[in-house]
Amino acid sequence: MFRENSHDSIAFGLNYNIFYFIFIMLWLLFLPDSASAHKVTIFAWVDGDTVFTQSKFSGGKRVKNAPVLVYDSKDVLLLDGKTDKKGMFSFKIPQKTSLKIVLKASMAHMAVWKIPVEALGGTEPENAAKTDGPQNSLKPPSGSMDIETHEQVSGSSTVALGKREIEEIIDASLDKKLAPITEILADSIHRGPGITEIMGGIGYILGLVGVALYFANRKRKS
Amino acid sequence: MHISEGILSPAVLIGGAALTAAGVAVGIKNLDQKEIPTMGILSAAFFVSTLIHVPAGPVSVHLILNGLVGLILGWKAFPAILVGLALQALLFQFGGMTTLGVNTLNMALPAVVCHYIFGNALKPGTGRTVIISSAFGAGFCSVLMSGIMVGFSLYLTGEAFLPAAKLMVAAHLPVMFIEGILTAACVLFLRKVRPEILEGDHVS
Repeated sequence: MFRENSHDSIAFGLNYNIFYFIFIMLWLLFLPDSASAHKVTIFAWVDGDTVFTQSKFSGGKRVKNAPVLVYDSKDVLLLDGKTDKKGMFSFKIPQKTSLKIVLKASMAHMAVWKIPVEALGGTEPENAAKTDGPQNSLKPPSGSMDIETHEQVSGSSTVALGKREIEEIIDASLDKKLAPITEILADSIHRGPGITEIMGGIGYILGLVGVALYFANRKRKS
Repeated sequence: MHISEGILSPAVLIGGAALTAAGVAVGIKNLDQKEIPTMGILSAAFFVSTLIHVPAGPVSVHLILNGLVGLILGWKAFPAILVGLALQALLFQFGGMTTLGVNTLNMALPAVVCHYIFGNALKPGTGRTVIISSAFGAGFCSVLMSGIMVGFSLYLTGEAFLPAAKLMVAAHLPVMFIEGILTAACVLFLRKVRPEILEGDHVS
């Protein structure tokens, strides 16, 4: 290694200069008003009998006028539409199957969001984002159960509302209360890469350089 | 410029991956130890440059910097860009692992072509004007060719070629100029402080 002193100093000098360059780039990164077109995301949630979708580029810019396609579980196209100026697109639930919502932004960009069938049955605004594990308990009661409940409580006027009605009331107020949370969730999904990812990537590359040099050096010695 | 997953047909994906593998093989064949740090640093620059956005009307695009990478590295741009793109896919979710081959090909092949067209200007003794115009040309043309190649990838999958390519090129016009200027500035800067880097490929 010492024999190659001269070229090592070249390498280190080079590192030094290009690190300046990388820092300038990092500084440029944090210039305001950045939006990008290398990644699009779509986020969908169910509210009552309507599915809302929000589409953004990774920098936070809304995807305007981009086609949105809705497929069922067997990849049959159910409906399509276009996002509005705010990147929003909403539609009535066409049928109670799991939905696959595909956003086709321009220039070879595409994003997919899936809504499981349970989310459509339960009409829970948050369910779209989660796995179907805990949602099973939230499934609407089947018809027979409903009748059973009615039979059990028949005569009592206080519970005469029925399970279905109570659920609807709770759903309506939950929708209202969860709306801001849904928005926060939508924003967090659209967030771009942070400093951790950037530094991590640079670290990976420098590590690979180290590994490559190690092997190159070993080959040279042997 | 990153093609998302699920757009291209499997045949295009496999073809792109095979051509990229060939390009990487050419790139790392007879690799000199001295060139590894240069490759790493240019790979890091490429990795970061994608985060610098250039607003351009309804869509905004980002720097690519493949012209600079190709100009300095030649065929070694393939492994450098592959590493950069793989990390972008893993950490930023730009592009994707299945489209890695096609994306690398789309960005690295123009870089190599630019190396052969404009690389001669990096030899010692060329005039300042020639260097500036060649570096600008490399930055400009590499993005232009990448845009056309993305359009071609879409065409192979079944989209109409001309609209797709036109849209890509039109959206990237500001990037082409910025990349041209940036590449020229980088080359001039490197020539002043570290001329060895620019001559590396021609000396060995």
